[in-house]
Amino acid sequence: MIAVGLVGLLLGVVIAFVALDIPLPEEWAAYLSLAALAGLDTAFGGWRASLEGRFHSDVFVSGFIVNALLAALLAYLGDRIGVDLFLAAVVTLGGRMFLNLSLIRRYYLNQFALRRQRG
Amino acid sequence: MNENKLYQMLVFFIIWLVVGLLLGLAFKEQTRIRTAELPSARLPDLARAYVQEKRSNAALEEEIRQLRQKINELENAFASGTKQAQVLAQSLQEAKMIAGLLDVEGPGIELILQDSKRRPQDGSPELLPELYTIHDYDLLRVVNELRQAGAEAISINGQRVVATTAIRCTGPVVFVNDVKMASPFTILAIGDPKTLKGALEMPGGALADLRSVDPKMVQLRVLDKVRISAYSGSTKFRYAQPAPPPQEVKP
Repeated sequence: MIAVGLVGLLLGVVIAFVALDIPLPEEWAAYLSLAALAGLDTAFGGWRASLEGRFHSDVFVSGFIVNALLAALLAYLGDRIGVDLFLAAVVTLGGRMFLNLSLIRRYYLNQFALRRQRG
Repeated sequence: MNENKLYQMLVFFIIWLVVGLLLGLAFKEQTRIRTAELPSARLPDLARAYVQEKRSNAALEEEIRQLRQKINELENAFASGTKQAQVLAQSLQEAKMIAGLLDVEGPGIELILQDSKRRPQDGSPELLPELYTIHDYDLLRVVNELRQAGAEAISINGQRVVATTAIRCTGPVVFVNDVKMASPFTILAIGDPKTLKGALEMPGGALADLRSVDPKMVQLRVLDKVRISAYSGSTKFRYAQPAPPPQEVKP
């Protein structure tokens, strides 16, 4: 499952760099980055869920879309009203990514320990 | 939930793919913005264009000088003709004196203003770094004071101050007659040396402020003979035209 995800990630980056050449307006760049951050967060969440056996495609997909849109929307709104609202998205998503990653790490450490005990 | 494992995997793959796409695009976009902000690639082009412009500028100035000289020669030839022509030539000469289109010489002063080498000491908030450099307003005050004292010709770093001269800071340099210059500024003025010197050194006057910050910023000399060159810029008028005399209203 994770291997599949990593292959997807790699492929995506490669496609973005090689094939896709969308001339985006500069103002969109920040929103794009935020959307990418939100997507990364969801992807980590999915990884963790799959490790815990609680992975559901519908939750995963809807979470991805809504989070990415919300993050971009917050940043846009913040720009309009002069408050750096994108920080809220950065802090929340960043914090959650660390949390998810730590849980993923623990899971693999446990597995490793179990295997050693058995072996 | 009765989800097919393969289906889950597909969704997982697609989401990671999209994340990868977004990340890649964002990365590319930021790189593009960063390189656009630093026009390092365009710097050689700009430098070349700058040098070219400078060269053609110098050539054009030389042309102006030559044409002016030719006009002078023609005027002289004309003046040596009839009496009428002589009178005309004389009044033309006067007009050119006033306009600053002739090299002139006479007694006067030389004033050198330069940025101070000293820096404000720590803990003296009232001494701003701006005080230690020469600004457009320093030059403007000096020029104004010199004119008030009856200076008949003034130049700043070789640029003749004429009726249309502007003196203005643009970043770290000062533009005089659209020519870029920086400290030190050598101001030459022709007039009664005593009056000029006295006007500049008036207590609370143009130089007093600078001297109070650092006396070395100001050097004032009286000279028996100052030579000030003519204005070399454009004398074309694009908007103003000679107006007909105003018509008298009869009662």
